[in-house]
Amino acid sequence: MFSKIRVLETGYNPAALNMALDEAVMENVSEVPVLRIYGWRPAAVSVGYFQSIKEEVDLEKCRQLGVDIVRRLTGGGAVLHESELTYSFITRQYPQNIMESYRWICDAVVMSINRLGFNAIFVPLNDIIVNGKKVSGNAQTRKKGVLLQHGTILLSVNVNKMFSVLKVPSEKLRDKIIKDVKERVSGLAGRTFDDMASSIKTSFRDKFDATLIADDLNEKEISRAEWLAEHKYGSEGWNLKR
Amino acid sequence: MRKGHNIHKSQKLIRVMLEYEETDNTIISITIAGDFFLYPEEVLETLEANLIGTKLERDSLKQEIDKCLKNSEAFGFDSVSLTDAILGCAR
Repeated sequence: MFSKIRVLETGYNPAALNMALDEAVMENVSEVPVLRIYGWRPAAVSVGYFQSIKEEVDLEKCRQLGVDIVRRLTGGGAVLHESELTYSFITRQYPQNIMESYRWICDAVVMSINRLGFNAIFVPLNDIIVNGKKVSGNAQTRKKGVLLQHGTILLSVNVNKMFSVLKVPSEKLRDKIIKDVKERVSGLAGRTFDDMASSIKTSFRDKFDATLIADDLNEKEISRAEWLAEHKYGSEGWNLKR
Repeated sequence: MRKGHNIHKSQKLIRVMLEYEETDNTIISITIAGDFFLYPEEVLETLEANLIGTKLERDSLKQEIDKCLKNSEAFGFDSVSLTDAILGCAR
């Protein structure tokens, strides 16, 4: 499918810079797709493009705990990013059918989890589960002929912390919602960020029959990302837009 | 003018914040939020703008929503569930 995949391992960054890097790489991507691997420091809540931050997130609690908040370019739900690996796959060549394109990329993520000894399966539209529990959520957007899909692969889950920073639709149902999430979401116990990073690179290589090219962000991407982090993803205008 | 707010559980959660004119039952402003997916994303802003002035009646709402979503793909809601979510604000 691809002869090469450019691999960017950008380490741990604040939320605004992480989302800015995804957009900057998306703007700059050539015919060679990009696999970006990253984490979040400090921990962060990201909300979906269509969500209302004020309705979904306890902003004061986030401030107290030092948790970043950012709106994503992609739809879907609110996520607490803490103990996980996040990936982005950015490409100019992709199936036009949305369902098919999720499966196309999620197949590589499923392979990467199974390579570590699990039995993961893809559940459309955008989830990956192991033994009935969600271990990965994925979301994509398409802009100017470029597809960006990013997703989390959970290494561990702190549901109590998650619901200290996320609001629930009904306070009366808080305990039930937390219990449900504990039963439905899980991390990949015993696996590290580095285990997952190594596995996901190998799986994208195999899935797309490509040579991996380890690379660094270029000057253009860095300066564009810094601008976007300050003026877009770090701004109230973007984060509180809905 | 009256304000309404509704949380509607379809396949995904839809939140609607609405201002409407009681005298003629038309929408003055509307914000639709939720954990759904919509491609292209900008369609939602067009939809919100086009719903202004629409009567809070099932047929009018559904017709306007269908028209706006015609060339898009939504996952997690459809025109029926979104119509229900909007009408729920005025109950």
